[in-house]
Amino acid sequence: MSGLRTMWQIALREIREHGRSKSFLITTAITFLLVAGLVVVPGLIGGGTSEYTVGTVGQGNEPIVAAAEQLGNAADEPNAEPSISIQTEPFEDRATAESALVEGDIDAVLIDGEDVIVESVGGFGESSLVALLQQGAASVELEAIVSEQGQAAADVIEVMTSDPLGITTLTGQEAGDETRGGVAYAGLLLLYMAVLLYGNWMLSGVTEEKSNRVVEVLLSSVKPWQLLGGKIIGIGSLGIAQFAGTILVALLAVNLTGAIDLPSLNAALVANLVLWFVLGFLLFAVLYGAAGSLVSRMEDAQNVAFPLSMVAVAGFFVSIAALSDPDGPAAVIGTFIPFTAPFVVPVRAALGAIPAWQYVLAVIITLASIVGLVLVAGRIYAGGLLRFGTRVKLREAWRSAGT
Amino acid sequence: MLGFLGPNGAGKTTAMRTIFGLVTPDSGEVTWDGKPITTDRKRRFGYMPEQRGLYPKMKAHDQLTYLGRLRGMETKEAAASADRWLERFGLAERRMDRVEVLSHGNQQRVQLAAALVHDPELLVLDEPFSGLDPIATETMADILREETANGKAVVFSSHQLDLVEDICEDVAIINAGQIVVEGNVRKLKDAAPIRHLELELDGEVDDLFQSLEGVRQITSDDHAHTAIIDAGTDVRGFLSRAQEMGRLRHFTYTTPSLSDLFREAVR
Repeated sequence: MSGLRTMWQIALREIREHGRSKSFLITTAITFLLVAGLVVVPGLIGGGTSEYTVGTVGQGNEPIVAAAEQLGNAADEPNAEPSISIQTEPFEDRATAESALVEGDIDAVLIDGEDVIVESVGGFGESSLVALLQQGAASVELEAIVSEQGQAAADVIEVMTSDPLGITTLTGQEAGDETRGGVAYAGLLLLYMAVLLYGNWMLSGVTEEKSNRVVEVLLSSVKPWQLLGGKIIGIGSLGIAQFAGTILVALLAVNLTGAIDLPSLNAALVANLVLWFVLGFLLFAVLYGAAGSLVSRMEDAQNVAFPLSMVAVAGFFVSIAALSDPDGPAAVIGTFIPFTAPFVVPVRAALGAIPAWQYVLAVIITLASIVGLVLVAGRIYAGGLLRFGTRVKLREAWRSAGT
Repeated sequence: MLGFLGPNGAGKTTAMRTIFGLVTPDSGEVTWDGKPITTDRKRRFGYMPEQRGLYPKMKAHDQLTYLGRLRGMETKEAAASADRWLERFGLAERRMDRVEVLSHGNQQRVQLAAALVHDPELLVLDEPFSGLDPIATETMADILREETANGKAVVFSSHQLDLVEDICEDVAIINAGQIVVEGNVRKLKDAAPIRHLELELDGEVDDLFQSLEGVRQITSDDHAHTAIIDAGTDVRGFLSRAQEMGRLRHFTYTTPSLSDLFREAVR
């Protein structure tokens, strides 16, 4: 039997035993529910109509309010619930309107289509209402001007709600990069959680085999690299399946509820995320596997893995920095360090802020590091596995596998 | 069947691990049929480590099938062999139980089955009898005898010397990493420079043993006396003197037991 077939056997066992374990099924269910909840709940909270009441005194207020309402709902999907609704309430004079405003019965007062009174400036709801009323007033004025020249009032609204100027950025980003940035951020978060989660599966899987001593039986017929490789493939496939399932659930929830617009996902963006998911997972899985081989007890496992988790956290923060400044020095340096690259590069790529040569070089560096780590960590793994009891020092593990 | 003996810390486990490449020797080489052991060859060996190790959450049948697969069997073949061995050990009804719910003795049976599942040509068992009750010990011994009869080589370590004497043709005794005695049990006993003398006699025996030459060691318990004496000593005169001194209830003069040889060898 070839070495690869042995590795495949080991991978299959991981998939079978891990995949039907209660803990796996439960965490999968919880993750799916959580993700679905994260998508659906903000939609429920954020959706619906904001309602305002504007007190009016004198003449010429209604067209402004109507125009403001129209502008506020201009971005809505057809047939969707309107985003805002503004009621009017006429008052005899300014004084009664003001007291109603103080009471909180109304949100603002319009006087003769000339002035607007609010309780204070800076309140979140009021300022957006005021902004809408300002725009409404402006459009009413515009209407008056253009209707003299034979243009329809509807044209004014259309002009005002379109983006007549094309946007060019100096960083080379395109309009719509905000959603791509959002996707990159969500992908990054998932990647980070996946590296930690599946890295820990590796860690506990390796330590478990050592703590229940089954490793001695296994190593009597397979080589350490086959065991490590099989574990990585097995846990990796399971991880990718769970990861893909989570994304699918999220997309499904988005589609069903219509809570948020589906970001403009394109194939290149997805391929970019998947590529770096695989690279990042491989890199950290090898490291976690080696760390797990150094200890015989689960309690010790977290301690040896702590530095690795810190590396992942560091990579995560560098890529957060890269999100806001994709060309900054931190982002560029992070691109060429194998431990941060899996987090930084997909973000920069999603933002379209990485030159092709840097991308390719980052892939090469990360791949080369994985190969190097497999050799180094594989030797530590082989050396650590059969030394039971106290935590094995790195150097000892390295030496005892030396020949 | 080779019994591999030695005091604690003599290097038995290390030697066994070396066979499977789990320990790299500082010098020397392990060979089988005169050739160094390759990975493929290793798959035709079965190993039962001293520290029992199985996946606690895996079912007994699945576990054995998996180990059979790892050593190159096809799935069907491995599954059939797993069931055959579970039945042989009286565990047929427990085949779908997770290993962790089995009793200590049953886990040990599964562990031995794990070493046997791929029909190995060499079985290396580190203390296979420790912790087993007399009946389980007998079953295990029967299986080992059977495997030897089927042409397999069996090496096992044990501290139960009576058992080893009973079932092994050959023994090797090591001390501090060196083999001090090795060979056929019967021949070793015949060739030993000592003999084992036992007698049970009413009355005083102090004078009696003083008349015997080459006494190495005497232990007495009331009327029963055991002595290790030089092999060349003529005991016929001693026997007749003993008969004169009192009522002789029991007298044996034999080659030394394996325990005697062991004690001599590692002293």
